[in-house]
Amino acid sequence: MFDDLPGQLYAALIKEDRWKLYIEGLGNTMIIAIGAVVIGLVLGTVIALIKVNANLNKKNVFLKFLDVICDIYLTVIRGTPMMVQILIGFNIIFAALSFDYSVLVAIICFGINSGAYVAEIVRSGIQAVNRGQLEAGRSLGLSNSQTMSLIILPQAIKNILPALGNELIVLFKETAIVGYIAVQDLTKMATLIQSRTYQPFVPLILSALIYLSIVMLMSWGLRGLERRLNKSDRR
Amino acid sequence: MIDVKSVVKHFGDIHALNGVSLHIKKGEKVVIVGPSGCGKSTFLRCLNLLETPTSGEVWFEGECITDPRCNVNKLRMRMGMVFQQFNLFPHKTILQNITLAPVTLKLMTQEEADKRAIELLARIGLSEKADAYPAQLSGGQQQRIAIVRALAMNPDVMLFDEPTSALDPEMVGEVLELMKELADEGMTMVVVTHEMGFAREVATRCLFMADGQVLEDAPPTEFFYRPKNDRLKDFLAKVLV
Ligand SMILES: Nc1ncnc2c1ncn2[C@@H]1O[C@H](COP(=O)(O)OP(=O)(O)OP(=O)(O)O)[C@@H](O)[C@H]1O
Ligand SMILES: [Mg+2]
Repeated sequence: MFDDLPGQLYAALIKEDRWKLYIEGLGNTMIIAIGAVVIGLVLGTVIALIKVNANLNKKNVFLKFLDVICDIYLTVIRGTPMMVQILIGFNIIFAALSFDYSVLVAIICFGINSGAYVAEIVRSGIQAVNRGQLEAGRSLGLSNSQTMSLIILPQAIKNILPALGNELIVLFKETAIVGYIAVQDLTKMATLIQSRTYQPFVPLILSALIYLSIVMLMSWGLRGLERRLNKSDRR
Repeated sequence: MIDVKSVVKHFGDIHALNGVSLHIKKGEKVVIVGPSGCGKSTFLRCLNLLETPTSGEVWFEGECITDPRCNVNKLRMRMGMVFQQFNLFPHKTILQNITLAPVTLKLMTQEEADKRAIELLARIGLSEKADAYPAQLSGGQQQRIAIVRALAMNPDVMLFDEPTSALDPEMVGEVLELMKELADEGMTMVVVTHEMGFAREVATRCLFMADGQVLEDAPPTEFFYRPKNDRLKDFLAKVLV
């Protein structure tokens, strides 16, 4: 395995400018993860708000209807493997699109998947805010949406952020399966190089190290953000 | 000013209010006492529609507020409420807690609201806490800020739901003192409390509630020294020792 390590490094990195492939692959991985998180965050927040408000206004038929739709979505997405979802997305739903769009398809599929998990995170974050806060806001004459946006959500973010950061990290790692739909992400590039050099050690370990360092960077950034958000807790 | 007509409130099988009728005039200080779970909070919360009555009507300054067409947000701007648990906004500074609603509701500009908040803080001797966060204040200070936050809206009536029950004993006095000042200035107040001393001293009327009904409604001297209702007599015997 370690025979001629310099030679292996040369073959896996320098020859034919192969180092560029890792960067290109990482670029795709990042684009998919970030794009999916943005979609997931928007989708998840909307669903969480529907569910919270449907729970507060049990008599509203329209909200009840939306709530049922959300439940179906959550059940289907959380009850099936990501891998199967992305294959269905690529081979059935977006089958008409050419391979040029596979990154976009990956972003959409991961975004829709992530939305289900984010919805749960945001919903429990909102419901963890003391009910008295809602009553205090409403008793001052603020509307439901003013109370939500000025009082409840800013507090909910503190509950949501750690779990959301975790979701981002999970999503970032999970994108490694997009090679199955012909996206040249970091993992795919590593296997591509392996198939040219017939030496797995350098490309696979290197890709693992790249994933690891980015995950560590994200964790570090999140801790900093949490500290800033917690400043009003100090005594 | 406030007219309550046969208000009933059910939570599923629980009958929290069984037909309460009451007329509260401007400037009155109504104190409500009664055993735990008898519907005091529910009654208070029906006045500003934090709970919607199952049946009956509430009228406020000539307007039927239980009518579905009534704008509840507008109504609540004129009714301040103070909660047992203070419910200050923990992510906002004290000044922001006070100015948030008047500014958001466009009743004042930020400058006007800041000025008013600073005046109110000076009045309760907490000027130096303007930029502190609620968690940095004692319970008594937090509750006084909560009262001031409601006052910043210039309400016509103030509702208090056991404002001193969550406080350490040594902090009860400062909150009651502020409430007394408000009463002396002529504020219309409806207060649910276990503080009998406050009721005797400040109330113009005392109500005794039990089982979701008002069983006695009398001025404090009569209420405490010549109670008519037997359950009130029992109740007073227990709480006045
Ligand atoms: N949101 C609710 N859902 C169901 N039941 C409720 C709700 N709010 C109050 N109740 C019930 O209604 C009854 C009256 O409650 P309420 O809070 O008005 O009593 P209270 O007189 O304020 O009591 P306490 O002195 O303990 O505050 C109680 O039996 C209570 O359990
Ligand atoms: Mg109560």
